[in-house]
Amino acid sequence: MKRFLAYLKAELLEALRTPAFLVPTLVFPSMFFLLFAAPNLKTPSAANFTALAFMIFAVFGVVFFQYGVGTAFERENPWFAHLKTMPAPPLTRPLAQVTSSLLVAFLAAFVLYLTARLSTPLAIPPDRWPKIALALLLGTVPMGLFGLAIGQTFNHRAAIPVANLIYLPLSFIGGLWMPPAFLPEWAQKISTLTPTRHWAELAWHAAVHKPWPLDSLLGLGFYTLLFGAFALWASRRPTAR
Amino acid sequence: MPNPTHLLAEVRRVEKRYGRIPALAGVDLEVRPGEVLGLLGPNGAGKTTLVKLLVGLLTPDAGEVRLFGGSPRTWRNRLGLGLTPQETGFPENLRVKEIAELVATHYENAEAVGPLLTRFALEAKANRPARALSGGEKRRLAVMLAFIGRPRLAILDEPTTGLDVGSRRRLWEEIRAFRERGQSVLLTTHYLEEVEVLADRVVILHRGRVLQEGSVDEVRARVGLKKIRFKSEAIPELPGVAKAERDGPWVTLYAADADAVIAALVRAEHPFRELEVQPVRLEEAFLLLMEDHA
Repeated sequence: MKRFLAYLKAELLEALRTPAFLVPTLVFPSMFFLLFAAPNLKTPSAANFTALAFMIFAVFGVVFFQYGVGTAFERENPWFAHLKTMPAPPLTRPLAQVTSSLLVAFLAAFVLYLTARLSTPLAIPPDRWPKIALALLLGTVPMGLFGLAIGQTFNHRAAIPVANLIYLPLSFIGGLWMPPAFLPEWAQKISTLTPTRHWAELAWHAAVHKPWPLDSLLGLGFYTLLFGAFALWASRRPTAR
Repeated sequence: MPNPTHLLAEVRRVEKRYGRIPALAGVDLEVRPGEVLGLLGPNGAGKTTLVKLLVGLLTPDAGEVRLFGGSPRTWRNRLGLGLTPQETGFPENLRVKEIAELVATHYENAEAVGPLLTRFALEAKANRPARALSGGEKRRLAVMLAFIGRPRLAILDEPTTGLDVGSRRRLWEEIRAFRERGQSVLLTTHYLEEVEVLADRVVILHRGRVLQEGSVDEVRARVGLKKIRFKSEAIPELPGVAKAERDGPWVTLYAADADAVIAALVRAEHPFRELEVQPVRLEEAFLLLMEDHA
């Protein structure tokens, strides 16, 4: 336990002291929200819907990049091999990394929530939040694995652009920036197939107190298996070591 | 002979290859309690592969690697191990003190971080991020981390590479003090002087095999050569010469019995000037061994 806490502290300090990581993850989602979404959100239901989508966008960014890019950097710094030789159960550090990443992700979601509270008629009943939080958490599993797979496949220079090429289109097509009904026709056709859309559907349904749609749950399960297999394959390639 | 169960580290008939390139081809090695074992060899000899096997980062293709009697892959068996890896790297944004505290957390009986930083002349940098350290400071920190948990065995992979003379001597003092407390060290190095000063025993590794093993004196004695140096126009053909070299006016002969060779040189009436005889230092013994096996 003391090792877990020491690793967690190290991970959080690393993340919070890296402006290149912190600004995009904590500031950009709120900035985009204020610039492009907030002015059009006149009703509580519209504000709730769009604020939740942007919260997912924020959480997605943290878990995807902290893993995606983070693990690519780690492979190139001898420190992390050194750390592996120290006496600690092998899962201690991965668990600390996941925990740190989730804490920062929820901080990013909270910043977005505050922004939305101050700029729109956001009104989500307090009793809906536990299920919304669970919805946010469920989507981090496949997307964290997807990021991990990218980090294990590409070196750190390639990993950032590749991750962005996935992160931004998936956010757009999944309806995280504008309601799916406002998307271009081609994007609407494939939107319901994306993991981001399934993720958002869980949060949207939780906010209006409706049961979770089965196809979104199955969809996220499918992507968890797919990205999990991809991550496993990538981490076992001889060059990834 | 010490009881084998008390060996700190044991490598038996170990083979390891990367793809088709063999790194270790049947290596035996043991680290005994309270000794400094020097592991010498040129780049590519397999030293770092051996270190990676001993600290659990790699598994052997054949043979057996034991650390404190168990597998180095099991984390509890590494509780008595400290390591300075050959390649130094630190987290980008952690301060020196934070890195030391993170490492100390792994051990039951770790040293207090503050005094240790002072001993390694890093106290002024305690609150600086590791990326702000000079190369020498980074190396000192890496060696300090190997000692922080009061390990029974510290494995130092080229610990003083890139250090100035003063820093190197300071680290030697730390390694000596460490051994005087009954702790053991496995030291790989390119600096033969370092082995002569610090090591109780030497293992010479070349192309994945152990070439020689023994005390510093034994390794020197087994080569058993003296260096006979003089100025002359040509290299004389003499019995008992292991190797002859010419560099400008200087001729150098290596021989087990220097007296006999000098007597033969005089008898042959080979002209020479400025004759001198020197013992072969470990560095040269090492180079000669390399050539014999090339």
